[in-house]
Amino acid sequence: MATRQSSSADGTVLAASPTLTGAASSGAAVGGIDSWKGPIIEVEHVNLSFTKEKASLPVLVDISLSAYKNEFVALTGPSGCGKSTLLRIIAGLIKPSSGHAKFKGQPITEPRHELAMVFQTFVLLPWKTSLENVVFGLSSRTDLDEETKRKISTQALENAGLSGFENVYPAELSGGMKQRVGIARALALQPQVLLMDEPFSALDNLTADRLRREIYSLLINPSSSIETVIMVSHNVEEIVELADRIVVLSSRPGHVVVDMKNELPRPRNKKSDEFLQSVDKLYSYLA
Amino acid sequence: MIIALFFSILFSLAIGITAARNRKAETVIIPTLDVLQSIPILGFFPIVIYGISAVLPGATGVDLAVIFLIFTSMSWNIAFGVYEAVRSIPQDYLDLSSMSNTGSLQRIVSIYIPASLSRIAYNTQISWAVGLFYLISSEVISEGTSNLNVRGIGVDIFKFGVAHDYTAYAYCLVILIIAVIIWQFVFLREFTLFAEKYRFGDDPHGAHKDYLMRVYSWVNQRSLSKLFLLKPGRAMSGIATPLTSPLTRYKRGLKYSVVFLFLVFLGFEVLAIVNSARTGTTAINLSALPGDELNVLVGLAYSFVRIWYVYFICVIVAVPVGIVIALHEKAYNALVPVIEVIASVPAPALLPALIPFTLVAGSWAGEITAAIVIFLGMVWYLLFNVMAGIRTLPGDLWELKRSLRVSTLQAWRHIYLPSVATAFVTGSITAIGAAWNTLIVAEYFGSSGSAPLTQVGDGIGKIIVVATNRGDQLTLALAVLSMTVLVVSFNLVVWRRVYRYTTKRFAYNR
Repeated sequence: MATRQSSSADGTVLAASPTLTGAASSGAAVGGIDSWKGPIIEVEHVNLSFTKEKASLPVLVDISLSAYKNEFVALTGPSGCGKSTLLRIIAGLIKPSSGHAKFKGQPITEPRHELAMVFQTFVLLPWKTSLENVVFGLSSRTDLDEETKRKISTQALENAGLSGFENVYPAELSGGMKQRVGIARALALQPQVLLMDEPFSALDNLTADRLRREIYSLLINPSSSIETVIMVSHNVEEIVELADRIVVLSSRPGHVVVDMKNELPRPRNKKSDEFLQSVDKLYSYLA
Repeated sequence: MIIALFFSILFSLAIGITAARNRKAETVIIPTLDVLQSIPILGFFPIVIYGISAVLPGATGVDLAVIFLIFTSMSWNIAFGVYEAVRSIPQDYLDLSSMSNTGSLQRIVSIYIPASLSRIAYNTQISWAVGLFYLISSEVISEGTSNLNVRGIGVDIFKFGVAHDYTAYAYCLVILIIAVIIWQFVFLREFTLFAEKYRFGDDPHGAHKDYLMRVYSWVNQRSLSKLFLLKPGRAMSGIATPLTSPLTRYKRGLKYSVVFLFLVFLGFEVLAIVNSARTGTTAINLSALPGDELNVLVGLAYSFVRIWYVYFICVIVAVPVGIVIALHEKAYNALVPVIEVIASVPAPALLPALIPFTLVAGSWAGEITAAIVIFLGMVWYLLFNVMAGIRTLPGDLWELKRSLRVSTLQAWRHIYLPSVATAFVTGSITAIGAAWNTLIVAEYFGSSGSAPLTQVGDGIGKIIVVATNRGDQLTLALAVLSMTVLVVSFNLVVWRRVYRYTTKRFAYNR
């Protein structure tokens, strides 16, 4: 039994298992991050426009939002509102035209090891087995030897519900299982922030339902390294089922229409009146 | 050449439609086309010249032979296009036409031909490039092997090159390149745009606006035997019973055509023995036959090794260069049109320019010239395929690479190299196929009546040319058929397996 995840019962994984600390962060920064009390992710006055034929086309206008510790945040809005783009700005994959996204007070200028991403299309390498795909996710961890990487990856696959499928190639996995590999790859990185871009929308309804039921407790629990999840989605029920906070963007150019808390008690019953009311309310913001 | 194209299209329409609408015809036609397109047609050219000039002596005969050769080089590809287009006409349209009692002629004119147009346009672009290669090569060969004069730019290039008139030679090359550009970008583009209107829904080939992507999908459909592409799984899951599934029918047809080819081969052997026994002491005697046989086998072995070592040089050059170019947006946009123009100049046209340089190497001149010509005949297929392999990767993969902070070295090892594997194998199959074709020009180069300018020590291409020059039809037939048998069986035995494995393990889009 690999015990890296379970050993850090208080959630401060960075301090509890120093071998897993990102080699890139300086000692001072780690100390600052660990004692951080503010929002984990902060987006401040982000603007983004694409230049097309010398005309500037605004995509995101003055976006500000915060995600706090142990919060599951859903980003939603009509198609083309730039919600996936916003997620990529947070991930450090896209530079905003002005404003910035911050991780524990530090501006995000490029991808960081504390932030992991789960993709809509899974993005598994077809020439690698599930295990090798997860190990590949640890590429930047040059401080770990191959043996340790495999141990961490096996544990991550087990946590994602895929024990026994370590040596199977993606082509032989169902869509739901592929996404579990994608999630395991992100978990193996022991991220503090998990970014998910429509993680369930490429799956069929039943598979998505099952994965959704498991994911919240998998991601947000005392033994997990994850402090915040930000998920992009356009599925209203999914959002009401999973999110603690819901941010709705308007259609292009995207700006924040509403930023609200979703305080339905967990586990959430999708048949209950409160649930249906919340769904109706969210629909009214989107329409 | 336009005459040849016209006939190619007519031929393709007839064959393609027949194959698509008639099960029995399909069983025979498709595997036959498949074998025909994978054999080195150029080797047959001297035979064709003999055949046609026997009936029609003089320059007209040779002209006809050239047209015929270009026709053959272009039509397989277009015929496949028509076949696939007609096969993919939605059933609803056919039901509509049978309900309204459309006659079969009217059905051909109003449904099959319009439905095939976009594929014809698309495949014509490609066929044209292939045809151009054959045009130049066949003109060079006919100039070299017969005393008859054909007129054409290929001949001019050859003559000026041999006569060391490099100004005129350069003019010819420039004219050739300009003609290529005008044809590609003016005429064919219009034809393609016109044909676009006749498409049924989403045709993955028509969707490729990027020239490279078009080349890429062409390479897939042209060079790969349809057998490679048919997967057993698809045949099983279909509604069709195993007996009538496309794969089974295909395999059966393939067996027939291989057996047929083998019979032709045997027939030639027997004919040769009978012939030499009859003529006895004259041109060929019986004892010469085993010698010929041996020569041909040795030549094949030499050529085989030659092609493979040049292939490995191509791989070492094309794979890294292709990946690097494809990774850099600016380099890609700037270089692709340039490479495309260079690639469209057939390797034999460059031969005369190479001679003075390689002669410096003395006795190795022939070998080096051959290597360069084969290299030029192969490298583009690999390069274009590798570039397309990288360019067709999904955008998410680049985001994954960045968000995982994968280093450049790791990316090469775990992403770039494996991701081009499928495209690389496809390119290799085409490249090797093309290499067999270039042999005839590469291994022996000179004009008839005088000593060759360059030649290799031994090789099947040389045997073919020398036999043609000597009028030794038996050796010629033997050499061409042996080469064909080798190429076809190598495709079936080796490449098919490699292709299966790589598509199973490395194909990205699943």
